[in-house]
Amino acid sequence: MTAASKAPPTSFFGKLITLRPSRDGAKKRFIGTTVSPLVLYMAFFTLFPLVWGFSLAFFEYSARRAGGPVLGLGGDNPFVGLAHFRSMLNFSPEAPLEIRQFHLSIKTTLLFSFLVLPLNLLLTLPLAVLIESVHQKAKGLFRTIFFLPVLAPSVGVGIMWDYIYHPQRGLLNGILSLFKGKLVGTNYTGDPTLFVLGIPVPLLAIIIAYVWQDLGYNLVIFIAALQGIPESIRDAARIDGVNGWQMFRFITVPLLKPTVLLAAVLTMISSFTVFDIIQVMNNDGGPQDLTRVMVLDIYFNAFRYQRMGWSAAVSIVLFLIIFSISLVQTRLLRTEWEY
Amino acid sequence: MQKKSFLLLSGLLVLSLVLSACGGTDAPAEAEGVTLRVWTHQNDAFNSGLEALADAYMADNPDVSISFETFDYDTYIQTLQTALPAGTEADILQMFGSWVCSYAEGGNLAAVPDSVLSLADAREQVFEAQIAGYICDETLYGVPQEFNIEYGATLVNTAIAEEVGISDITAGWEIWDDFTADAVQMAVVQDDVMTRAGYNFTASDAIPATFYSLILQFGGQYLTDSGFQVNTPEGKQALEMMVGLVEAGVVDPVLYNDEENWVGDSYFEETSAMGLVGPWVVPEYAGDFPDVADVTEYVQLPWAGSTQAFVASSGWGLAVSTNSAVQEAAWDFVKYVTLNADNAAQWNLASGTLPALKFNAAGANAESLVSEFPHFGPFLEILEYAQYEGHFPDRDLVWYDITYPRIINCLQGNATVDETLETLEREVNESY
Repeated sequence: MTAASKAPPTSFFGKLITLRPSRDGAKKRFIGTTVSPLVLYMAFFTLFPLVWGFSLAFFEYSARRAGGPVLGLGGDNPFVGLAHFRSMLNFSPEAPLEIRQFHLSIKTTLLFSFLVLPLNLLLTLPLAVLIESVHQKAKGLFRTIFFLPVLAPSVGVGIMWDYIYHPQRGLLNGILSLFKGKLVGTNYTGDPTLFVLGIPVPLLAIIIAYVWQDLGYNLVIFIAALQGIPESIRDAARIDGVNGWQMFRFITVPLLKPTVLLAAVLTMISSFTVFDIIQVMNNDGGPQDLTRVMVLDIYFNAFRYQRMGWSAAVSIVLFLIIFSISLVQTRLLRTEWEY
Repeated sequence: MQKKSFLLLSGLLVLSLVLSACGGTDAPAEAEGVTLRVWTHQNDAFNSGLEALADAYMADNPDVSISFETFDYDTYIQTLQTALPAGTEADILQMFGSWVCSYAEGGNLAAVPDSVLSLADAREQVFEAQIAGYICDETLYGVPQEFNIEYGATLVNTAIAEEVGISDITAGWEIWDDFTADAVQMAVVQDDVMTRAGYNFTASDAIPATFYSLILQFGGQYLTDSGFQVNTPEGKQALEMMVGLVEAGVVDPVLYNDEENWVGDSYFEETSAMGLVGPWVVPEYAGDFPDVADVTEYVQLPWAGSTQAFVASSGWGLAVSTNSAVQEAAWDFVKYVTLNADNAAQWNLASGTLPALKFNAAGANAESLVSEFPHFGPFLEILEYAQYEGHFPDRDLVWYDITYPRIINCLQGNATVDETLETLEREVNESY
């Protein structure tokens, strides 16, 4: 059977790899030339560190100790198997400090993420609808204004909000003092006894700063999605007599479900991996570790306290949590239709 | 076949690029000269002093070339930890003394040759509180350049003192009651909100330094043959005294801690009248706050008990990597910088640090230091009373993750003295 007598492939990859005259061969050579080195480079710098990080979770590893001949593993950096993961299940109040900090960091991270997500979506979706309803020229201006914080470095955002929250000189207490007629000296980021509905105020303070910076990102995603809704559907709804709220609730929100899924997954992943803004605002995990999220816990254990094996194990747990939640979100929010 | 060859060639190209990037960067011992690489953390004053000495050394030794690479503090720690296993670190490494043994025990640091400095000479020439951090299992692994001190004397804003009617605060205090009275007088509280602390001692370095120093002054020890012990009469006395200072009104630990109003920032922004922090802070902040720097003095704190002693960490110094191919040249430079009294004093002048060498704590070099930094005077008088904080498996963990958070929690009124001491003792012993 010759190439000429074969039935033509119907699948995308079948068409891609089928030998064709020199024009397609040249195209494939061009793609190979430009993509292959990068793929190999990325594979080496992504795959190897992933495997290394995964392996470390089964060793009691510190870079300061002389290990075995193979990548420093073994010797003074012994293989411990699943010991790190087993110790994570020690919920006793007398558990070692790093385990109690780990449990607290999981709780803090989950609290952070599950507060950021609804707050972000509740703000950005209506805001996107409002922006879409104004004059064309004003749309661009509002989009820019709300997107600017996304472009600002997180360190700068953290410093700015630190200033706003300062107990004696901060903007927030200054405004509250004006209203109350007396000096207000609340330490929003440093008082471990302040709670609102059971949520530590230092964590809430960081959540506000984080959402302020992040909402522009989802806003532009929603604006783009709103622009993709066919006007004919809206026209039909108007003919049926819907008002603004009904349009939003019964037309806009359901049609944006795929976009909401995308925004929710992205927001969840980024909130689970938050680090820089917390590092700036509460550099050691906050008062009584109330803002010690998992990435901060990993960072301290790996680079300050040299417990790289333990940190690698915590990283795997973080990955599994993010993966599970993303799967659940995808299941709950998927749609079987498109327009 | 063509596709396979192409992919193979691409792979080899990438591999060669990667290997060249990851390859070791041993200092080439050239036939005509030696190149020494030095790693330091980013502190302009420290590095300008070191570079000036390097220039002088290179002028005297034309066959030696010295290159510096600097890193911000957090990045420096990470860089050390990744470079050391890979063998790509510099020949000379700036080290904080309290870290040295943890790196030395991993076989990463070279022992100081006797020809450079023997252990006996080290103990004789360098203050014990500083050299102790560099001695691991009776082997010396580096030489300190500065005397790191976070206790013993306090920053005092003399203008604020005069403003509230305290005359001649620089004369000091004989007893803690007098000190407390002055601190309370300098504090400002408005609508139950402390807008100026009288004595800010609630930072993450100040709290451990205060607590462990007070234990020594009350005649106790926290590192004993039975392990780490603070749930003792002396530990209780020390913590109760700190609680007493807070209750007297010298500082509000809820408003003044590591999250807000950190002592250095707070003092120079004049939201603290006095602050417990080492003298390195003055050159660091003087440029931005010259008016406050002009009215700043350090005044010795009173001794709390019968023993004149306080705790000190082992400060910044220089060590040589075991992977260095030019250790002899490296140690020669280290000796030039740290053990030549005039050179060491020159670096202390440039960096605004206290001397690690006993010779430079008196005489002409000391006078030069005090002339340039008048606030050094009170510290030079007490250096001999410093005791090394002791070897911990991880000193930073004990200081910043255990001692500071437990004690600030107690000072804020969220835990009792007994609960705090019990937790502190248990958690530190668990870290061993």
